[in-house]
Amino acid sequence: MTWISDTATKVDPIEASVLHRRLKSITEEMGLTLLRTTRSPILNEARDFVTGLYDARGQMLEQTEYIPVLAFALQPACEHIVAFFGDDLHEGDVILHNDVFSGGNQNNDVAVFRPIFRAGKLAAWAACKGHQADIGGAQAGGYNPEAREVWQEALRITPIKVYAAGELRRDVWRMIFANIRYRIVEEDIKAQIGATRVGERGMQDLFSRFDGPRLEACIDYLFGAAERMVRREIAAIADGVYRAESWAFYDGVNEGSRMKIKLAVSVAGDEVTFDFSGSAPQTPGFVNAPCAATASALLLTFLMLINPDVPHNAGLLRAIRIVNPEGSFLNARFPAATTFGNSITGPISDAIFRAFAQALPKMVCAGWNRMLGFTVTGQDPRHARPYVDILFLALKGGSGATWNADGYNHIGLINCAGGILAQDYEMFEIHDPHRLVRHEYAPDSAGAGRWRGGLGVETEFVIEGENVTGIAFGDGAEEEARAFGLFGGKPGSINSIEIGYPDGATIHPKSKAIIRNIPRGAVFRQRAGGGGGYGDPHERDEQLVLADVLDGLLSVDGARADYGVVIDQVSLALDPSATNLLRGRP
Amino acid sequence: MGYRIGIDVGGTFTDYLLLRPDGSTHVHKVLSSPADPSEAVLLGLIDLAAVAGAPVADFLAQVDIIVHGTTVTTNAVLTGNTARTGLLTTHGFRDALEMRRGVREAFYDNKFTAPPALVPRRLRLPVRGRMDPGGREIEALQIEDVELAIAELLAREVEAVAICFMHAYANPAHEEKAAELVARRMPHAYLSVSNRVLPQVRFYERSSTTVLNAVVGPILKRYMENLRRRLAGSGFHGVLRIMQSNGGVTSPAAVAALAASTLLSGPAAAPTAGLAAMQPHKEDSFICVDMGGTSFDAAMVVGGQPSITSTGSVNRFALALPSMEINTIGAGGGSIAWIDHGMLRMGPQSAGAVPGPACYGKGGEQPTCSDANLVLGYLSPDFFAGGRIRLDPQAALDAISVQVACPLALDPVRAAYGMYHVMNVNMASAIREISVQKGRDPRGFALVCAGGAGAVHAAMIARELGIRRIVVPREASIFCATGMLHTDLKHDFVRSYATILGPAGVDRGHLGALLDAMTEEAHGVLASEGISPSQRRLVHALDLRYLGQYHEVAVETTADQLREGAWDAIREAFHQRHDRLFGYALREDDAAVELVSIRIAALGGTDKPAAVHEPLSEASVEHLCKGHRSVYQPDSGGFAQTPVYDGDRLRHGNRLEGPAMIEKVTTSIFVPAGFSLAVDALGGCVLEDQSKRELA
Repeated sequence: MTWISDTATKVDPIEASVLHRRLKSITEEMGLTLLRTTRSPILNEARDFVTGLYDARGQMLEQTEYIPVLAFALQPACEHIVAFFGDDLHEGDVILHNDVFSGGNQNNDVAVFRPIFRAGKLAAWAACKGHQADIGGAQAGGYNPEAREVWQEALRITPIKVYAAGELRRDVWRMIFANIRYRIVEEDIKAQIGATRVGERGMQDLFSRFDGPRLEACIDYLFGAAERMVRREIAAIADGVYRAESWAFYDGVNEGSRMKIKLAVSVAGDEVTFDFSGSAPQTPGFVNAPCAATASALLLTFLMLINPDVPHNAGLLRAIRIVNPEGSFLNARFPAATTFGNSITGPISDAIFRAFAQALPKMVCAGWNRMLGFTVTGQDPRHARPYVDILFLALKGGSGATWNADGYNHIGLINCAGGILAQDYEMFEIHDPHRLVRHEYAPDSAGAGRWRGGLGVETEFVIEGENVTGIAFGDGAEEEARAFGLFGGKPGSINSIEIGYPDGATIHPKSKAIIRNIPRGAVFRQRAGGGGGYGDPHERDEQLVLADVLDGLLSVDGARADYGVVIDQVSLALDPSATNLLRGRP
Repeated sequence: MGYRIGIDVGGTFTDYLLLRPDGSTHVHKVLSSPADPSEAVLLGLIDLAAVAGAPVADFLAQVDIIVHGTTVTTNAVLTGNTARTGLLTTHGFRDALEMRRGVREAFYDNKFTAPPALVPRRLRLPVRGRMDPGGREIEALQIEDVELAIAELLAREVEAVAICFMHAYANPAHEEKAAELVARRMPHAYLSVSNRVLPQVRFYERSSTTVLNAVVGPILKRYMENLRRRLAGSGFHGVLRIMQSNGGVTSPAAVAALAASTLLSGPAAAPTAGLAAMQPHKEDSFICVDMGGTSFDAAMVVGGQPSITSTGSVNRFALALPSMEINTIGAGGGSIAWIDHGMLRMGPQSAGAVPGPACYGKGGEQPTCSDANLVLGYLSPDFFAGGRIRLDPQAALDAISVQVACPLALDPVRAAYGMYHVMNVNMASAIREISVQKGRDPRGFALVCAGGAGAVHAAMIARELGIRRIVVPREASIFCATGMLHTDLKHDFVRSYATILGPAGVDRGHLGALLDAMTEEAHGVLASEGISPSQRRLVHALDLRYLGQYHEVAVETTADQLREGAWDAIREAFHQRHDRLFGYALREDDAAVELVSIRIAALGGTDKPAAVHEPLSEASVEHLCKGHRSVYQPDSGGFAQTPVYDGDRLRHGNRLEGPAMIEKVTTSIFVPAGFSLAVDALGGCVLEDQSKRELA
């Protein structure tokens, strides 16, 4: 504990602790404001947004992400904006941005930045970014598996002032929203602007409590604390180069295509480098990530490997280097289509967990179920109005098991890590012309292991809407994309979607596809897979195996084949001697 | 007119407020007896009899009413010691309860596991039969499934059975049929049926609430029987009322039937206590906080109305019964200081009563908030709990030196002040959260500060928030017990009816039938509690939202408006409320408004103790000064000799200026420089920030 005295500036650690709490509190207040004032359910229900405060250079002071994939979604754009505008920043400016080729992470995620001044000098930024219900482009809502270039996906918003020195630029405002389908987006952007004002007010209150040099010293201290915390965690990892590969499947254009992620993690002392060199080249379709999306995926996975309570500020990033050469599908060149980018988080975290499995065996987890999403749009004949639904309830599979913990059931994609809720069944039927038949854990879906994967779910409903179109959007429908097991653990079950038509035909949509004219009366069935298992299944306590059998989550055959636990088909009693024999114990 | 007693059972202490026929009060506390809380309840009553100078039986015979708050159900869920329960649920959906909609509260912690399901899957049994959202039967109830389930639950010897079927709020026929069969075959099981517990849309929330009710039902029932037996056996024949989470009280019989209504009742009497404390100030909007040994509760009251929520939870399971909206964080006298990579943090871990703060000398070695307060002079080593507990300043200083000051390279006093300061900032954040969430600026509100540990922090919390005025009630340390004596009977009724608000959407006949049924039920329950018709009041509200939204807003209305179909007026009230809560309304867009549920709160008026105002005292306070001690002054950043006053002898009209310390047997108040203190007509201490006077 001697490092405190190393700091050159004399900082009162109490003051820094209080500053940290205040900064956090401001970002949370900005978040509450967004929850209260936005109108799109993807913002106020799914909470697909992030709020943050940045210093004059665009370095993250504090941030509150409401879903993990936005953990690094603002800083690259903030740095770009600082560089682009230079001296041309004034009190009352408000800047909009979404462009993935200048620091954005996804077209639909539109950020609002507000510079904050102290005595006439740029001192900080308040910013927030949220997923918009529409952003122009060829397909309403923005997910366009048929896109080949960014312009088919979205309106590109490079940094642009919508307010200049407090004055609304009406012409600019009108031009932007003339290119976006839904008026609700305009309202939600206004709400985001309001949230940055809350951030500005909070920072100005801070300025009145801390003079400039003291504030700066405290912020350096906070950066230092986060940096030291991360460095200490990295230093505890044995030096070396840890390599791993994982795959993403189907680029949406070429059937059977697969894209490799090649990762070399080098740990040297208290620094770590993530090198993605040699990963697959960018794809012709939209299965490409902007570099900010790859960085976000990396950061959220890395946070799962260290103490997750580390302050979310720029210090967190100082000991981490990322090598991600341009031109790969993890850092696509202009003008690639990239809307699928955030969804490459699954394959990226797989590679990271696999690499660290060698170095941090007790912290990594086995594979999470890859997301396979399906969005339904159509006409609701009950009210003669259109409806749209992202079927969150159907896509949420299980997470991977880790040392000393089973995977989490029905948690869903790692991008959100349990932050997005499944719809309530009754509300689902009231909202949509769908009759839900089943939504339950899928038996035998969890990857077997000493700690088993989280369970996947089975969903079945009857479509009673008209003019129904479905957009499949995801991964994990291939055998090899099943959530992988670790250290002898078995993989989780596969993702699958099928639609049974009233005429008896059944279709199996590919993982990226638009299915048009789904008839009324069709039955939608999806199985979201389970997470991967961790450790030799034969080492799992047989009472826990028995419990899963008694609960109908594991078949008697599965117990025997995967776990070496023998249970009587009829009485469901455990047979200890047969089990010992099968497990090779005396 | 006899005695009245409020009894609040907490984790560490059981609090009493004895109200004598002449309006005078007596405060008492005993240690709780968690194994059977009714034991401690009785011990305290024996003490009170001694105070009243009468044998126990004679004393209890003179007690008209006992209002009792209990946490037996909450503790049962938190510790997992619940009743063995089975669930009958719609085929295809047996995992909704355990899934909790797939939430993981900790994003980055892969070892963070789900709470154990309240009912294991093998006892969650599927039943075929299906209603649609309009209450039309799509598939008939399969009786053989119910029979099979009953056989299974009999074999497994469950104590309670919950029944929750899809869309039972719209048509309860299937649930009622199943309930009838269960009641016949399992007459001793505690039965919890979703359409009776909470006939409200949202399957997970209703299932979870119904199951929570089942798993604590047998426990509360047994507790009520024990308590009534003990009380009756000791000579009590008055009225016993039980505190509920909704801020109202009810009879033991009614609460046993809806055991889940006590799950969040712990702090639920606080807003009512706050209203009573604010009565002399003619202010009915305030923020009310209660800081005890382990937790800090904050609630808002606006225009005399505490805010109510139906999105509560217990041990991460949804509880959708209306309850007082209270924000609880882990901050109390026992909150432990720790260093997190160079940052000072306080709590949420608490040293509790055992081993307690280091200064208690009971084996606690970790530095706590109370230790810091002692080092800073805000607590007196010789007068804690009126001198009953001697505090050890050296032990406090040692713990802070070793575990906070040394690692941060600070002197121990600066470290202690840091602990105090971080606590204040944490508590202020908790207050800001509830007020911002409701679209309110805390600066416009007074702060009512209760709890044994609160008044030492109140002024500095207020300063954090820009709040000008603080009221520390006379009975601050047993705040909830006070509130209980001011509480009306209250029952909530709800029916879901999903349709567009307006003449085209609402079938007035159907709405009228729902209102009739709820009204009849409401009067029935109040009548069974002996409430005469003139003392009954029904408050109507609708859960409304803009079409396509996911969350509803409760909007108050009247029976007349509903029966007349005054949709425009109701819609306008909704726009206003929505604007207040969420910052916008869709008036101009002419957006359709969707009705989701109808609510009636049935209130039964009780006689409240009349507030006895103390006569105004002209006397100065000098003779109440017990001496001086060294107290840390945050403004100057150092210790100063500060006068200490005997708080229990302060009288109405007494005034003094900070810096000062006020010592009472049950609490101490820190009045910093720049604050004044005045005693109000109820003996409450009113602190005012002089720097903000001009804002008044």
